[in-house]
Formats: sequence, structure tokens, C-alpha cells
Amino acid sequence: MRRRDFLKDIAVGGALLRFGPSLLAQASSFPGLVMVQGESPSAITKEAVAALGGMKSFVARGDRIMIKPNIGWDRTPELAACTNPEVVKTLVELCFDAGAKEVTVMDNTTNQAQRCYARSGIAEAAKSAGAKAPFVNTFRLKKMALQGEWLKEWEVFTDFIEADKLINVPIAKHHSLSRLTMGMKNWLGAIGGSRNQLHQRLDEAMVDLAAFFKPELTVLDAYRILIQNGPQGGRLSDVKLQKAVIAGADPAAVDALGATFFNIKPQELPYLKIARRRGLGEIDLEKIRLEKRTV
Amino acid sequence: MKKEQSKKYRALQYLRIASQTVFFALFVYLLFGTRFTGEDYIGRVEVFFHFDPLLALATTLASRTFFTVFALAGITVLVTVIAGRYVCGWACPFGAIHQFFSFVFKRVKFLKPRKEEKKEKRLAWKYYLLVFVLVGSLFTVDLVGIADPLSLLYRSFVSGVLPWLAGVFSVFIGLFYSVRLASIGDSLAQFFSTLALNQTFQQGFLLSLIFLGLVLLNLTRERFWCRYLCPLGALLGLLARWNVAKVRVDPKKCIKCNLCTIHCETQANPYPNKEWRSHECVYCYTCAAICPTAAVSFPVAASPEKIEVVNLSRRKLILTSALAVVAAPFFKITPARKRAAAKLIRPPGALPEPQFLQRCVKCGECMKACPTNGLQPALGEAGPEGIWTPVLVPRIGYCEYYCSLCTQVCPTGAIKELSIEEKAKVVIGRAWINKSRCIPYVLGSPCIVCEEHCPTSPKAIKLLRTEVKLPDGSIQTPLAPVIDLDLCIGCGICENKCPVVDDPAIYVTSVGETRSEKNRLLLEILKPQALPEEPR
Repeated sequence: MRRRDFLKDIAVGGALLRFGPSLLAQASSFPGLVMVQGESPSAITKEAVAALGGMKSFVARGDRIMIKPNIGWDRTPELAACTNPEVVKTLVELCFDAGAKEVTVMDNTTNQAQRCYARSGIAEAAKSAGAKAPFVNTFRLKKMALQGEWLKEWEVFTDFIEADKLINVPIAKHHSLSRLTMGMKNWLGAIGGSRNQLHQRLDEAMVDLAAFFKPELTVLDAYRILIQNGPQGGRLSDVKLQKAVIAGADPAAVDALGATFFNIKPQELPYLKIARRRGLGEIDLEKIRLEKRTV
Repeated sequence: MKKEQSKKYRALQYLRIASQTVFFALFVYLLFGTRFTGEDYIGRVEVFFHFDPLLALATTLASRTFFTVFALAGITVLVTVIAGRYVCGWACPFGAIHQFFSFVFKRVKFLKPRKEEKKEKRLAWKYYLLVFVLVGSLFTVDLVGIADPLSLLYRSFVSGVLPWLAGVFSVFIGLFYSVRLASIGDSLAQFFSTLALNQTFQQGFLLSLIFLGLVLLNLTRERFWCRYLCPLGALLGLLARWNVAKVRVDPKKCIKCNLCTIHCETQANPYPNKEWRSHECVYCYTCAAICPTAAVSFPVAASPEKIEVVNLSRRKLILTSALAVVAAPFFKITPARKRAAAKLIRPPGALPEPQFLQRCVKCGECMKACPTNGLQPALGEAGPEGIWTPVLVPRIGYCEYYCSLCTQVCPTGAIKELSIEEKAKVVIGRAWINKSRCIPYVLGSPCIVCEEHCPTSPKAIKLLRTEVKLPDGSIQTPLAPVIDLDLCIGCGICENKCPVVDDPAIYVTSVGETRSEKNRLLLEILKPQALPEEPR
């Protein structure tokens, strides 16, 4: 329940919420947003987190961490429908190195959970690094007040609420409704209920969820990105090898930079404009302290 | 006279119980193993069906082809001819269930064994049933699956017992959460998830009642099913006449107490000795163990002696056969034979409908393996002979793109085994949009859920800007789905995930299925798709 209280506190200080991330980013000596390119998914992930000041700036000793990848589809990593397992594994390792007591990797999948967990390679990768990779458990669903602009309440898996810190690790993909699915869309995997009804106002739903979950860190896997036929692809020709990750504490900024992989300006994405208006973060790339590295 | 029960047969009884337990455990193990285990190919979990000579014989008769794996049934035949019906008494998991409940009912005194009439007519029922099923098979009505004990047992477990157990298990998990032992609840829930039990069956209640009824029949007679109904037992009974293990009651020790005959599980009548029915005995050794003077034994008698048989009236045999012959057309008075049924969506790899019906034994293996619970026992979709055959009901579960489990587990080849790559190319139907219910077409607002879930690449569901007139007269241009029928494989995920839950605005019908030459939509003469071949 610690996290929940924390969220309440944040909600009270609305103004602080609005300017918080950018103020913090400016105050520290580290960049607000990092993009790292390179051959190894693991190496670029490590480098990105290091450039942000290391995992210790996000994870405290004894923390119970929830890592939320996209494990939505019964697809192999080559098809870029799910987060790269190497990226997930590296984050698990970094969390443990930073003193985390427990790391859990979890997603409410679209295809059968067992299949997605297996074929994506994520369950095995996470477990090999010492994390737990449980399936979502409907007994842990709880209707919660999201206090969003559109979503007032929804069923949420309490695992995501009870964790001390959340790390969002989405993959960058084409999507025919929100145009792109990256960090904010990824939170649809932390909830239950009739998720398919959120599509009627998907952009607002995504922002409401992102505002509710508030990850400590977002690492966008863009090692392989899905440029068409999203969000599950199916052919190698749907996939582009981008060999990059983007990391940052500001969830809007991460998605904003991610959009550029698809030659889309952040301002062209309705959900990012809503996110900016609601103070979830910065989407004007000019205003973000961005650091690019190659390893 | 020294009164002492036989220790040897007491021990053999325990050995028999151990054997039944092992075989039942094996059955359950294979049952639970019939799921996605993390591997795409799960091995021969259906192997025990191949030891069933009734399924082998009836399927061969009905389909006029011999499925080579059924050669294993020869082992069962061989054991029975040489030794007698040990398979019934020592191995059959359904027999084990009946024996267990008979034992329980006796213990709680709900069932009191009695000495039966010498001329017991009911013993003959199963033989008539066998004749009916086999003659029916010869006239291509494959009803064997309804009464075959292994099919019946597996089907009952898949659609009734396991969903019920799952429900009980869920209640227990819920209890742990309600008493704030969430960590135990979590572990149990995770374990439960890995079992991937299918819990929704459209005839689950009916099939459970049938199973329950058969179990409760043990209240009237021990092993009621085995005694009077089991057609496989009857088939093995016909083979168990010249076997070497024969009962012998030592007249010097016998005190004529009749205990052996009263407690005989299957009414094989060990006393008087010469009235023992070799073909009814399942070698449970109850008679030998219960005898107060150890007079009953089962010596190996190499030379067959004259044996008592169940009186099968020739008249009734002819009548039953004739009935099966005239019944065959009766099962075909159905439009299912005349034209394809829209909702008869068969699993990928299913043979063309007539051949499929000749082979499918309604065992439910495919329904157990299906990862989404989409394969359901048919009621009327396939006509009366197609009852309990598998049909995909997309509203319950869809066909997973990278899954061919149902094709791997079919014991009779009614569903041809396919690799994942082959399976992904098989069309089982096509999707259609009901524009009068579809959200973009009716409300003018976006949805795209069907398109998002469409697994083919490129997607069979495309989104087009469409002009829609709303009730207030205004015009909206939302993205609305259209279907590229050339790409659609009929997997049904669109229907399953459609937010219009009660009657989905997109739905699959069987038209265009690869297996049928008649149920065509696009005349694919220019680009022929391979029909599944019949396995041999």
C-alpha cells in the first residue's frame, strides 16, 4: 500500500506533479532523456540506465520492483511484437545490482498467457536473471479510482500498485488507432476488465492510465521496431532494425522521442498532446535535455 | 476344517489395486499433459486410445482405412486372448473408477451385493450394444465414441470433471485471499494458471450428468457399467474364452457359502465352478481373496475346457444388427449432410466432413489441448451423428495462430497432424462484418479491436475511412473495418475480442474452409490449396 499512499500525496500536490519531472531533470547533472544505439540490446540498455545516473537513482535497497514489458502477443522476438527479452533481462539484473529485494516481470497478455510468456522469451529471460514472472491473477484484480479525465475507475492488478517502484519497458510499434504504441499504451497490460472497450477513446484512456501508474523509469525498447501491421506484425518485413533504446524518468518525453523513429512528430500524436496538457511530461524535443550515445 | 483366507490372493488384490492406481495416474498425467506446456509439439499424450481395440475396429470399419498406430490395440487383444480380461480389471481407468465407487458404496452400505439369478439377461446388453456399434460403423455411422469407455471417460473429464475441479479449486484459492493468506493464494493461482484448464463447455452440465449417472449406477450393482454396458468389455469378452487363467474352486475346501459369487465384481459366477463365465471375469481376485477357506484359485489351465457363456439370443443379435443397419439412414436425416453449416467451424486439419465423421470418436482430446477453450462439443451443428464432435466457437475461444496442438493429439486422425507452419495456412472459415452492429458503422466512433487482433500479416481486416450517417443526421468518417477475404483464415479472434459482446459485430462462418470442395467462397481453382490428406 505504500505506493498507493505515495500516489495520493502526489495527487494532492497537483502543481508539483505538473512541473515536477522537468524541474527535477534540470536540477540534476544527468540528462532527462537518453538514447543509446548499438549492436547489443543488453549493452545499450546498461548504457542508457548508466547515463541517467545508474539504476540506484531509481531503485532503493530493499525495494520490490515491478517491471512491465509488453508480452501481449504469441510472437517471437524477431517479429517485434513484444519487448526484447534481453532488454528485460538486463533491467532485472540492474535492479538486483542496485539492491532490489524482489523483481517481478508481468503483463496481462492478449493471446494465451502461457504462449506469450514462452514464445516472447521474456519469462525465461526474466527468470534466468532471478526475477519472478507470474501470470496475471484475477484474484488480484481490484476496482480502483483512477481519477482520470475519462477513466474514473477500472479494474487494476494490485501487483502493480503494491510494488515499491514501477519500471515500464515497452516496445515501439505501429498501431492503427493511436498510431504508435509505446510507453503509455503499455499500461493497458496492467489492468483487467473489458480492455477492448477502451479503444473508443483510446488516447484519453492511455493518458489516464499513464497518469495513474506513474513509472519511476521508462525504457523504450527500439532494438527492433514494428513499422507496419501493428501491434503484432507477423512478418520480418514488418520489422525495422533500429538497434536503440530510449530511457528516461519522463514518460511523455520517452514516447515523444520514440515517435521520431517512425518519422512522426510528437505533436502529431493526440495522446502525447493530451499528456502534455495534463502535465505528464514534456513532448517538445527542443526543450528536453537529450543525450545520445553509441556503444 | 481350517478356516483361513488366502494370503496370496489378498496380496494379488493389493497388486491389482496398485496397478489400477498406476494406470489411472498415467491417464490423469496424460490428461493434464494435454495442454500448451511451453513447447509447440507435445508428444503422444493420446497414446492410450491406441490400445483400445474397439476404437481400432470401429474406426477402421467406418473409415475403411487402417490407422497404423492402432496396431497397439493388438497388444490388448493378445493379452486378453492369452490371459483373459486383465485389461478390464487391472488397467482400464474407467473400470478403476467404477470399482472404486462400488467399493465406497459397499463400505457405506448403500450397495449390498447379492446373489444374482443364474440366467442374468442384463449381462447380454453390452454385447448387443457392441454389435450395434460395429454394424453401425460398417454402415458409416461412427457411434463408437459415444459408448467407448476411454472416449467417454476422457470426454467426461475434459468437459465435466476438470471444469468442476477447477471451480472447486478457485473457491479454495478465494478462501486463502479472504483470510488474508494472499501469498498462498498467489502460489496456488500461479500453479493453477500453468495447468491451463479449460473451464467453459457448452454441454458441460449435460456431459457431467451422464458421467455422474454412470458412477451412481454402481449403487445398484457393482461395476454396473462394466457388467452390463461396456462395449469394449464385450469385445474383450468375446476374445476371452480360450485364455489360460481359469478359476478353480477346490470342492474339498469349499463350504458352499456363495461369498465368491455374491461378491464377484462382474457377475462371472465362480461358484458353482462349472458355471463360471470366463469372458465376464476381469481377474480382480475378489473371489479368491474373500473365500473363507481359500478354496478359490486361478491356476493356469493350458487346455481350454468347456465354458459357460452369456446367452446371446440369436434372434436379438440379428435384430440388433438389423436395427443398426436401418438406424444408419436415421442418423442422416439432417441438413448437415446436404449443405455446409455456417457455425460448423472444424479445427484446422480436420478431414472433409464425411471422412471426419467416420473417424472422430468424440473423445475430447482436441478440446483439452485447445489453449483458448474455443473447441467445444457440438450439439446439433453436425447432425445427430456429429454430437460431441469438436467445433470452434469463437465467442468462447479463438484459434491461436501459432498453435497446432489439436491436430497433434487426435487419436484417430480425424484431424490431420500439422506443423505450426502448415496449420497457419489452413483456412477454417471466414470473418464477416455485421455493419448494423459494428461500432464505427453505427456510432461513428473508432474501435479497431478486430483489426488489432488479426494475426495474419498483412492483416485480413483493413481499416478504411468510411462515411457514416448518425441518428442526428450528422456525418462522421471513422476508420471502419473491412475484410480481405483472400487473407482471412477464420481463426475467430476478431469475433472473440469484439467489444459488442452479446452478439459480436464480426463473426466467422465456415465458408471457404480449406477442407471442403463444396463449401467454397472464392473459387480457388487458380491457386489451389492443398486439402488435408487422410493419414494412414
